[in-house]
Formats: sequence, structure tokens, C-alpha cells
Amino acid sequence: MELVGEEKKIQALFSELRLADEQAAPSFAGVWNRAQLRPRTRVSPLKFSFAAAAFAVFVAVVALALWASSRPQTSQPTHEIAVAPVTVPVTPAATTGTGPILPKKEQPRVSRNDRAARLAARQKAELLAARRAEIRDATAISSWQSPTATLLSSQNDALLNSLPQLNESVKDLKSFLPNK
Amino acid sequence: MDIAELKAELEQHHAACFGWALSCCARDRAEAEEVLQTVYLKILEGKARFRGEASLKTWLFAVIRKTAATEYRRNLLRKLRSAVSSEQVREREPAGGEVDTAFDRSEEQVRFRLALQHLPARQREALHLVFYEDLSLREAADVMGVSIGSTRQHYERGKKRLREVLERTELDYGIGWRGKENPGAV
Repeated sequence: MELVGEEKKIQALFSELRLADEQAAPSFAGVWNRAQLRPRTRVSPLKFSFAAAAFAVFVAVVALALWASSRPQTSQPTHEIAVAPVTVPVTPAATTGTGPILPKKEQPRVSRNDRAARLAARQKAELLAARRAEIRDATAISSWQSPTATLLSSQNDALLNSLPQLNESVKDLKSFLPNK
Repeated sequence: MDIAELKAELEQHHAACFGWALSCCARDRAEAEEVLQTVYLKILEGKARFRGEASLKTWLFAVIRKTAATEYRRNLLRKLRSAVSSEQVREREPAGGEVDTAFDRSEEQVRFRLALQHLPARQREALHLVFYEDLSLREAADVMGVSIGSTRQHYERGKKRLREVLERTELDYGIGWRGKENPGAV
């Protein structure tokens, strides 16, 4: 590179600077030996653990993103409510009008935007639960027995509570007639 | 290239490498030595490997530049983490003073060095590589990791800025600064 004018002046200043630096430069052997004596850099276990943690976080974030993107945007909320099978004996009269009790099914996914539908489903479930409680109460009432019912019982209960049959003999029928 | 051969080559370029390291470390001698040590260690460990894609000097300068930048960032973080005690500051002061031993005799040189500190890093690097290390603009571009056009711009702007700063500090070393410029010099 041909230098002229100003460049020559700059070159002169840099040359002087270089000369001074060369005089002040440390010996090559000294720097080289110190470099050799320096402990070799190793990847610390802390760095490994940090990298592992960062990787785990990254994987979690990616999985979350994939899951969020795979979810349906407008899913139809299913109004089937999971109902546990009723174990109490129910009288036929009591069950009329309640509808069939469905076996427990897996709760369908409800989209994020359909919170209202989820709320409605929950309300319906609560309603059904209340109705089941009513049925249980009705069953208990129908099978109720008075605690003093045994005091009214007698030996002739069988005769009093039964009716004579059509083909029964007259002799037997006479027993129902008052004695003259 | 085996390590013995490389060592011989490195020894040959050692003074130039130190000068370049000084330039990259804002003329901090201790830091420049540290950077040079790190570079040699990198070479010993095989982390920096010469593949013959450029000249050895260019490659070496690029490694020094990169290492100096890394060291600078590391030091900055270290300083941010823990406040430097006044004891440490006092310890560092003589190290800076050592640089100026015989060199400070020349007032012009002091002013020149101050003027260099006023230049943006890229411009200072371009001027240093061309004038101090006698590299061509292409080689300087390789070292700086930028295009040759960009290096040329840094070089021209650096010259202009240096002249302005020197004029401002009223540097006069016998020759006037307002000489005729040769645009086709590079």
C-alpha cells in the first residue's frame, strides 16, 4: 500500500508506538510457559446441570406449545354428566320420571372458551345429585315401620289378615261365621 | 502443523501479537498479557486450530481479537457482580503506569495515544492493522470479521477522525496535518 502525506505521518506515529511496545513486550517463553501452567479449562458440573435444566425447561415449553396448538379451538361441550351408579334399593314408584342413571364416563374436554358450558354442566350435576338424595329419602320413608307396631300384633293376625278362598270347604268357612 | 512448528511461528509473531492484544485491550498491558496467554492456551488445547484458510498472522490476530472481546465481557460481568475494592484499584494503577516508562518521554506519542482512545473501536482497529501491523485492507477485513468495503470505510473515517482529534489537541510534531490526501492510496 503506497502511503502519502497524512498517511506517512500516521505511519510514523504508529512505528514509534510499535517500537515502544516491542521494548515493553513480555518474552514469548514466559507467556507460553505460563499458558502451559494454567489449569486447563474444563466444563464444570454446574454448567452441565444448568444446561440440563435449561434443556428440560425448553422441552417443557415446546411440549406445552404443541399441546396448546393441538387442542380444538371450538369444541362442543358435551352435556353428559358423570353419575355414579346408585346402590340404594329404589322402588319402582320412586324411580319413575328420573330417567336412566348413566354409568360413569370420562369427562370430555371442554374448550377454554366454553367455561359457561362447563358451569352449566356442573349445575346439572349438582341438580342430579340433589334428586338422587330425594329418591334415597323417599325410599327410606316407604320402608319405615312404626316402633309400636309389635304391640298391635295378636295370634289371630293370620285369620284377620287373610281372606277365605273360593274352593275352601264350608266347614272351614263356618269358622268365619259367628257362633250361634 | 505440529505444535513445535506452530510454537516457532508464534514466537516469530509474538511482538506483533502483543501489540495487537494491547490495542484490543485499550492498551492495558496486564490484560493484554492475559489475553495472549489465553490465546496460547487455546492453541495448546486445540480449541483454536489453524486450518490454513488465511495466513497464520491473520488467523492469530482474529483469535486475539475474539479472545479480547470475550475477556472484556467477562471482566465487565465480574465488575458488575462484585464492586472492585479500592485495594484492587490501587494495585492496578502501577501496572498502567509501567507501560509509560520510556515511552512517555515523547509528548507527541502521549497525545497520539490519547487521540487513538478517542476513536471508535472499529476505526482504531482498522488503523492499527494497516499502519502498525502492515496488513492490507483485505487482511484487516479478515481479522475484523467484516467486509473489505466496511473496513475501507472504517479506515478512511478513522484517519479523518484521528486528524480532527489531533488538531483539537494541538498536536504538532513538525509537519502540518492539512496535507494533500490521496484518495487512491488504498
